Amino acid sequence: MAITERPSSLPPAAPTPPWHRRSVRNQLFQGAYLIATALVIVYVINALNLREFGFGFLGDPAGFAVPNQWLIDYDGVTNSRFVMYLVAIWASIRVMLVAIAFATIIGVLVGVARLSSNWLLARMAMLFVEIFRNTPLLVQIVLWYAILIVAIPPIGEVFNIGNAYYLSNRGIAIPWPVPDPGWWNAANWLVWVWVALLAAAGGAAWWVRRGRIARERDTGQPHYPNRWAFSLFAVAALVTFIALGAPVSIDKPIIEGTHYLEGMIITPEFAALVLGLSAYTASFIAEIVRAGIQALPTGQSEAANAIGLTGYQRLTVIILPQALRQIIPSITNQYLNINKNSSLASAVLFADLFFVAGVFQNKTGRALEMFVLIIVTYMLISLLISAVMNVINARVTTHRV
Amino acid sequence: MTRLKYLRRTALLGLAAIIGALALVACSDDAQQQQVADAGDVPSATLAAVEERGELLCGVKQTQPLFGFREEDGSVVGFDIEFCKAIAAAVGDDIDVRYIDASDAATRFTLLASAQIDVLIRTTTITASRDADLKVDFAQTTFFTGQGFAVHADSGISSTADMNGATICVQTGTTTEQNLADHFTDLGYSYTPLGGTSPEIQEAFLQRRCDVFTADQSDLASRVSNFDNPANYRVLGQIISKEPLAPGVRDNDSEWKDVVNWVVHGLIAAEEMGITSGNVGAMAANPPNTTVARLLGVAFEGGEVANLGFGVDPQFIQRAIAAVGNYGEIYARTVGDAVPRACTLNALAIDDSVDCPAGTGGIQYAMPYR
Amino acid sequence: MAELPQPAEARPPGRVVLPPHRERARRPFADRARDWARHNLFPSRGGTLLTLISFALLVLLLCGVIWYVFFGADWSVVSSNRWLLFAGSFPRDEEWRLWVGVAVVFFMIGVAYGLWSRFNRRDLLFVAIASAFLIFLMAHGGAAAWSSIWFLVALALMFGGYVVAVRIPRDNSRLRVRANRIGIALIALALPIVLLILMVGGGAVSTDFDGFVLNVILAPVGIVGGLVVAIPLAIGRASSLRIISWTCTAYIELVRGAPLLGWLFVALFILDDVIGGSLVVRTMVVLAVFTGAYMAEYIRGGLQALHHGQDEAARAVGLSRRQTLQLIIMPQALRVSIPPLVGQAISIWKDTSLVSVILPMRELKGNADSAIAQTEFIADRIEAYVFVAVIFWIVAFTMSRISQRVERAQGVGER
Repeated sequence: MAITERPSSLPPAAPTPPWHRRSVRNQLFQGAYLIATALVIVYVINALNLREFGFGFLGDPAGFAVPNQWLIDYDGVTNSRFVMYLVAIWASIRVMLVAIAFATIIGVLVGVARLSSNWLLARMAMLFVEIFRNTPLLVQIVLWYAILIVAIPPIGEVFNIGNAYYLSNRGIAIPWPVPDPGWWNAANWLVWVWVALLAAAGGAAWWVRRGRIARERDTGQPHYPNRWAFSLFAVAALVTFIALGAPVSIDKPIIEGTHYLEGMIITPEFAALVLGLSAYTASFIAEIVRAGIQALPTGQSEAANAIGLTGYQRLTVIILPQALRQIIPSITNQYLNINKNSSLASAVLFADLFFVAGVFQNKTGRALEMFVLIIVTYMLISLLISAVMNVINARVTTHRV
Repeated sequence: MTRLKYLRRTALLGLAAIIGALALVACSDDAQQQQVADAGDVPSATLAAVEERGELLCGVKQTQPLFGFREEDGSVVGFDIEFCKAIAAAVGDDIDVRYIDASDAATRFTLLASAQIDVLIRTTTITASRDADLKVDFAQTTFFTGQGFAVHADSGISSTADMNGATICVQTGTTTEQNLADHFTDLGYSYTPLGGTSPEIQEAFLQRRCDVFTADQSDLASRVSNFDNPANYRVLGQIISKEPLAPGVRDNDSEWKDVVNWVVHGLIAAEEMGITSGNVGAMAANPPNTTVARLLGVAFEGGEVANLGFGVDPQFIQRAIAAVGNYGEIYARTVGDAVPRACTLNALAIDDSVDCPAGTGGIQYAMPYR
Repeated sequence: MAELPQPAEARPPGRVVLPPHRERARRPFADRARDWARHNLFPSRGGTLLTLISFALLVLLLCGVIWYVFFGADWSVVSSNRWLLFAGSFPRDEEWRLWVGVAVVFFMIGVAYGLWSRFNRRDLLFVAIASAFLIFLMAHGGAAAWSSIWFLVALALMFGGYVVAVRIPRDNSRLRVRANRIGIALIALALPIVLLILMVGGGAVSTDFDGFVLNVILAPVGIVGGLVVAIPLAIGRASSLRIISWTCTAYIELVRGAPLLGWLFVALFILDDVIGGSLVVRTMVVLAVFTGAYMAEYIRGGLQALHHGQDEAARAVGLSRRQTLQLIIMPQALRVSIPPLVGQAISIWKDTSLVSVILPMRELKGNADSAIAQTEFIADRIEAYVFVAVIFWIVAFTMSRISQRVERAQGVGER
């Protein structure tokens, strides 16, 4: 009797049923999940009653005005809502750009100051962070605005510096270059000459930069390729610009009655919003910078001291460039927050995109459409910021050590 | 192992806690909400909802002096608020008013359209586009006014003709904003608008951030009279629009609109007939004539009680008067000091007394209640 | 050089030479102060300049603040509107419920501190200053002196809870374990308990929540609800199943893409058609969903920070996928992500101030707007907003300090 023979009572081994296989179960699970999600979406769409959904109302005249800060002329009576929405987007973007710049500068300074060996400075930096981080941005902004329009004198008692700079609670007015409208048009051949000269200067600068990088690599001595290239380009641009007749005039602001004319005017609404956004975000950036620096091994700092770098050199050449790699992703998040937080503008009478969208909603009752528009706009701006920061991040993290 | 089990238990506990909290809040509001959801589907849904709930959800402003603002103890008071009380009293003696904050001009109509309030009494102007686009119906006007301008007395501005290039404070999401744009387009003038909610633009005006403050004339007059030094400000005589302020109700609920409408008419009629909160009891017990008897929903000299069938009992106007007094009393109690009206028979100066009853110089005109 | 221990022969009789740092501490206070100042304030010419500039700035700021607080400002807008700011339209005759709620919360804070931390001198100072400030505010004008008595009772309860809890030995005894559980249960149930106190038996309804009370009720719902939303989202996003991971990612990015004001807009206008319910509940849902998306990202960060060996080891000892996630991965990931999660919690506390920008609900900042709409306080905007800022700051600062304690107690950041 063969030992290897199976007992005939046992059935042959059945193949594993397909629903016991992991991959099949995963597919089934995902299918069920997909159906559930689809059901929820269908339910929501059904509940929302989209019969009247559409953006045609954006073509109607806006019927109200906002302060004109855009490059084109428009008024709320003849221009469409869509044009006004673009105007408002531009207003928001201006706020974001300025706030991002200020927040970064203040944040890095405060973050470095927090780690300063100077006790008093470190404590004051900490005070800054604790105050601005722990109060709501909305309250900060309205407080800034309340302070600004009370503390700065009205236009009747305007601070006048050399008939060119003015400060009153109508805003700060400063001279601003304005392109000569007759010169700047595509029909003028001088414009194309200048563009060609600029291109040539750019090529030269790039060539110089390459040469200097090569020499730096060969000799080990610093040859400042970026500084040279940039200076060269700037000088060339300026010289050709002046040579071609400098078709830009500097507009000095003047006061007519109770309002400024010409020049660049920084309104208190804009200032309050930017102050609030920058101080608030700076307190977060300061903490990010501090954490980034503290994460570096102390040997870096000690080595920099040992080779005789000054405190400033140590910071700018050794510490910050290395810390940046950890800092930039977190700072990107803060920039995205600036984008979103700029929606608080309406609290200080600043007509940003959220404000204008709210008025459209009020006038037309199109809550869902306006909401979709708001979300899409903020997301696009977010994507833009992320894209720019990704490029910077790639530069910083791959370039040298 | 115990530690992990215990972590899991904590997580479950947290989940249970949050669901419990939400359920608790939701349940407490159950009675309040269940009827509202169906509003608009059947006739008088709002009226039924108010009765069922025992509460009138009244959308009011909470930041405008005289019309709707909050006292230090948290209570809401003002001209508009009195009409909320009147409507609640008209629906029933046991109906409370719950004030829902509709201070934000930009969201008020959606509050109404989405049935989060039963009636919007919030210095809201009747306009055709609102009636058409915003799913709102307006009842009888409670306050007639027009868009005016306030300036600093030393500014030298005496009419819109002096306002070319001026910075103008205006409340966003209002008819004022649009009138302003239209008016300046007609004039061919430029101006810089500074838009926001009324407390902010008022402050901006006080600090001379803007040259001109534009709003309803009555609103401006009341604000200026409360400023520290009223003599430093001037409300211009010029009016650029008609601003009839009226309670708003949801579209297509005509029975509810009728109740709101006739409460307002009834309060105006009460002033015409001399019925006050003080004498309404006596008048009801012993009506001097059939008109009064009909208005108060009582029998005249043993006759029948006239029931006009508004879905509420015939004494609804009587209850409203008992609760807040007639139109004149409401006016005197809330806005009278700041925006005095001189109601004299055959008065000529119509703009000073526009809110007087018709025949005394005003245009507040109660439709006949019969 | 002066700090070096002196040679043995110069040492006075009977004096023991200590290691340098101990020796330094033995030197006269004036010397030590001078050295400290030279080191930390005047290390070099540039450093001295920096110190002087900072000092001048500090003095200027301090003088300005002191002048403003005691002379420049008119605080009557705050003192007259205490009730409006605190509870607004909360029914006045149910006020006791609020104070019982405050007492319960304070008691829980005391117990938590006693169980897992200690009050140190700085904490006590902070409590003392904050309490003094609040009592002064409440007692000022004498109108509501008894509310400061309520407050004192709450404080006493806090210290009572602390004293009892701090006696429990910090070991692995059964008593300790049980105390820990009770403590956690208390904290988890704090919100429902407080809501029960406020609402049950003819108390308030949800639309009565107003002023500061509304902030205090909304924020915890956002935080706890956010966590409940975030954990499955984070797991889903890290999942290897593509559809699940994609939808979770899409959800997270969508929510994070738009400002909170936009989502509150949804609570007001759009959610009404979808889920209905009262506005307060819808707002709570939106806050939870909004916070959840952010918290999910932090938890995902925690998941990614874990070494994959953890997962492999757990599977190797035979744990199922679910068990691995539940017993090994999540507890560690959550612990790692405590600091950013607390940051998000503080953020949502501050964000409750946005509620009255769009919604017909008025929290502390909204009621401050109402207060300055009163004709006699038109000119007192700054005072009202400064007060609001201070109140928000006190709570946010307390939260951040408590979280630092928790982090230290849990050994977050240590490996």
